[in-house]
Amino acid sequence: MISQFFVLSQRGDNIVFRDYRGEVQKGSAEIFFRKVKFWKDDGEEEAPPVFNVDGVNYFHVKVVGLLFVATTRVNVSPSLVLELLQRIARVIKDYLGVLNEDSLRKNFVLVYELLDEVIDFGYVQTTSTEVLKSYVFNEPIVVDAVRLQPLSPAAIFMQGTKRMPGTAVTKSVVANEPGGRKREEIFVDIIEKISVTFSSSGYILTSEIDGTIQMKSYLTGNPEIRLALNDDLLIGKGGRSIYDYRSSTGSGAVVLDDCNFHESVRLDSFDVDRTLSLVPPDGEFPVMNYRMTQEFKPPFRINTLVEEAGALKAEVIIKISAEFSASITANTIVVEMPLPKYTTRVSFGLEPGAVGQRTDFKEANRRLEWGLKKIVGGSEHTLRAKLTFSQESHGNITKEVGPVNMTFTIPMYNASKLQVKYLQIAKKSSTYNPYRWVRYVTQANSYVARI
Amino acid sequence: MAPPAQAHRSPSPSQPSGKGEVSDLKSQLRQLAGSRAPGIDDSKRELFKKVISYMTIGIDVSAVFGEMVMCSATSDIVLKKMCYLYVGNYAKVNPDLALLTINFLQRDCKDEDPMIRGLALRSLCSLRVANLVEYLVGPLGLGLKDNNSYVRTVAVIGVLKLYHISAPTCIDADFPPTLKHLMLNDPDPQVVANCLSALQEIWSLEASTSEEASREREALISKPVIYYLLNRIKEFSEWAQCLVLELVAKYVPLDSNEIFDIMNLLEDRLQHANGAVVLSTIKVFLHLTLSMTDVHQQVYERIKAPLLTLVSSGSPEQSYAVLSHLHILVMRAPFIFASDYKHFYCQYNEPSYVKKLKLEMLTAVANESNTYEIVTELCEYAANVDIPIARESIRAVGKIALQQYDVNAIVDRLLQFLEMEKDYVTAEALVLVKDLLRKYPQWSHDCIAVVGSISSQNVQEPKAKAALIWMLGEYSQDMQDAPYILESLTENWEEEPSAEVRLHLLTAVMKCFFKRPPETQKVLGAALAAGLADFHQDVHDRALFYHRLLQYNVSVAERVVNPPKQAVSVFADTQSSEIKDRIFDEFNSLSVVYQKVTTMSKIGFHH
Repeated sequence: MISQFFVLSQRGDNIVFRDYRGEVQKGSAEIFFRKVKFWKDDGEEEAPPVFNVDGVNYFHVKVVGLLFVATTRVNVSPSLVLELLQRIARVIKDYLGVLNEDSLRKNFVLVYELLDEVIDFGYVQTTSTEVLKSYVFNEPIVVDAVRLQPLSPAAIFMQGTKRMPGTAVTKSVVANEPGGRKREEIFVDIIEKISVTFSSSGYILTSEIDGTIQMKSYLTGNPEIRLALNDDLLIGKGGRSIYDYRSSTGSGAVVLDDCNFHESVRLDSFDVDRTLSLVPPDGEFPVMNYRMTQEFKPPFRINTLVEEAGALKAEVIIKISAEFSASITANTIVVEMPLPKYTTRVSFGLEPGAVGQRTDFKEANRRLEWGLKKIVGGSEHTLRAKLTFSQESHGNITKEVGPVNMTFTIPMYNASKLQVKYLQIAKKSSTYNPYRWVRYVTQANSYVARI
Repeated sequence: MAPPAQAHRSPSPSQPSGKGEVSDLKSQLRQLAGSRAPGIDDSKRELFKKVISYMTIGIDVSAVFGEMVMCSATSDIVLKKMCYLYVGNYAKVNPDLALLTINFLQRDCKDEDPMIRGLALRSLCSLRVANLVEYLVGPLGLGLKDNNSYVRTVAVIGVLKLYHISAPTCIDADFPPTLKHLMLNDPDPQVVANCLSALQEIWSLEASTSEEASREREALISKPVIYYLLNRIKEFSEWAQCLVLELVAKYVPLDSNEIFDIMNLLEDRLQHANGAVVLSTIKVFLHLTLSMTDVHQQVYERIKAPLLTLVSSGSPEQSYAVLSHLHILVMRAPFIFASDYKHFYCQYNEPSYVKKLKLEMLTAVANESNTYEIVTELCEYAANVDIPIARESIRAVGKIALQQYDVNAIVDRLLQFLEMEKDYVTAEALVLVKDLLRKYPQWSHDCIAVVGSISSQNVQEPKAKAALIWMLGEYSQDMQDAPYILESLTENWEEEPSAEVRLHLLTAVMKCFFKRPPETQKVLGAALAAGLADFHQDVHDRALFYHRLLQYNVSVAERVVNPPKQAVSVFADTQSSEIKDRIFDEFNSLSVVYQKVTTMSKIGFHH
């Protein structure tokens, strides 16, 4: 049961404010914002998503730089409220096509209308875009998506590849197309976030893939959909899978540690043929989340060499090797490495003929940053950095630097090899043939090489 | 259209209150009120939007209440909705004006469009004006019987709103029994869920004064009600499922068959993508099996994977909420999670509140087989750029050392910390070495060799400095220059800001004196004199006490200050197991995140 809901901009302005129960004072948004902005508690720099000030519990999630906040005085389930805040953001995005400060401000009346139906007197009524359609009457004022900051995960498909219909994912589920007619299409995105930690000698210490099969449907008439995954897919490390008599290693099978499913997914034949069937509701939603710790080939190898080069000097060499097919290109790569705190100057040397690369020494937090616009599969890139120190290092310089951290996005690549074999839409007629988009993307979550 | 940009700033005394704008709006609304010109609704919409946008940013637009009500005579549903929103916001502070709205709201409650009936009823009940409650009873009664389920869901919550405005009116109108009937019979699951929410609130509040309400509240967790709700569980929305599961967790089954039936029924809820549903289900499983040790343990095994999946999917905030729950489970049964320790490794980009929880979990699950790897990992964090986490990691290493697994290797690592020459690392490590020595005096030789090489000038943090001084006093016979270090510290008495450090210094000098009298005598005099002159009461008192003790009898003084010591076997836990149990009882609530029980904090007036 929640008392108030509000959305604040980065500067702390109220964009929408809804008081459902009148139990919490009106100034709560200000109290909240001040607390979050000046959070300093026990060495934590960042306010946790849940905290209590004078008997009022504040919950918040950050979505595209906006703060979605709920308050209550009751001892509720934190998971429920945080999940709800995230869901409200998603419903609003379904309606507005693009979620950001501008679109919220332009559509605040519509947002109020949504909020009135989502929650009544603090109790959740519905968060289904589908159901809400029949209660909500304002037409969204669609903002221009081009000049907006891209937001994930939809935006990751818009970078540097022409295969993706860029605007579709920022399309409102209710607004009509300029032409008047809606395009029949459905998007299925396999989004994987990978975490790898390499030891100083290059061994993989830990690795994990957290994946989501995300769906966004613009099909009219809610046809049933069948989604077939790899037929040798195994779930659970022994014990729970019906295939567990098979050896999981060497067979090339994809073994998931665990997974969960959206409410609408029916698993009737999942155990037999690894097929999910569902009638997709309107809007964007995760069909399935999965987690995998089975070994996989990391897309990048990172080699780092740190050497002292005379008094008050050292040299860092970072080499990145892309170990994936040459037909695939990674983009927006950033490599970061903390340097000794007594570093005063860094001079960089890129390989000859390097294009689309930038280097930076962030003095404030003594960090080396190396950005690459793209990396083609199979290629290698090297950075040399000469460091100058203000004091002598105490013998072991490698203890003062690192680890190297890397972020990247690789479209049309997935590390787990989980696949959507086919996407079948129950046919209404022989001429009915909607557009289907099945897209893969891999992103770094925590990709770290120790030194 | 967008509200004017300059109006987004939150109002402050230096800014215009928007008075000019409000009177502008007032006259414009007046012009439109009587008009029946075509396209009038569009102009009204724009004006209404302006009013609502002012309301949002905190400008008081209650002055246009009358005009808004006049304009509300429309069949345009978008306009109606904005008007309802406005009225709901200002009725409470303008009860007289609110009366104006009663008429049109009551009329709308009888509209042929169920949408409008529902909206009007919701607004009517949201006025929160005590002297208008008489107007609510009739429409609410009709609403509960409406053939449209949307109107009924609104009416049920309306009853709860009425209860909060005037409890006697609500009770006298016999609404609670009506809700109970609806809860057990309505075909619409959201009506059922709302009845449950409303009844839980009403009966909990009534229970303090009414026996009957108390009985009714108990009846909600009776077998027939629970079974009825469980059998419909999949009809409910995910949020309503949470509500039902929360209730089921309170139910006490008669025998183990019942327990297994419920668990089998709810098994697939553990695969739900909504973390709140999964946590509510887990709560049911944990509570049902509390008295069945084996099954309870199996439940832990079963819920591990889903919890880990939730932690790694979803937003960082959602993952934090789940991780907090995983945290208390790990603390309760560390051995079950011992092989999953790698899941508790910190990731580079995680916020510190997540890393902190993970470090505690890593500490808890450390055992013979994984300690080496866990400590190796923690040592990586100790060199981390994130200083608070580096500190926590060193503390974690220390705690693991105190748990007695593989102490050898750990002491080596701790001593390596001392050699890293990062001041905060040295500081944390010193405190830990002190604790370790209290538990494992046999390590003193190795430790003292390293500690002796640390320059006291490089140690500034009070806790670390105090630890170093403690070691200087305690092991002064093994550290050759102990008296001289203490001497130089005493010389800087005036510059030492921390009373804790000065207290430790006094005691260390005393200890050193009994072990090496000739070398320490002069320092002791200086320290006692400085202590007696100290402005801090505790320091002064301790100096005086030592002074008198020495005057009275030196050998008694020695026995007081330097008694034979026994190694500490167990350090006091910061949180009692009783409190941990009670937090566990409040699984899936804020108590878990705050690590506090309801009665300890101000949260919660009912459950």
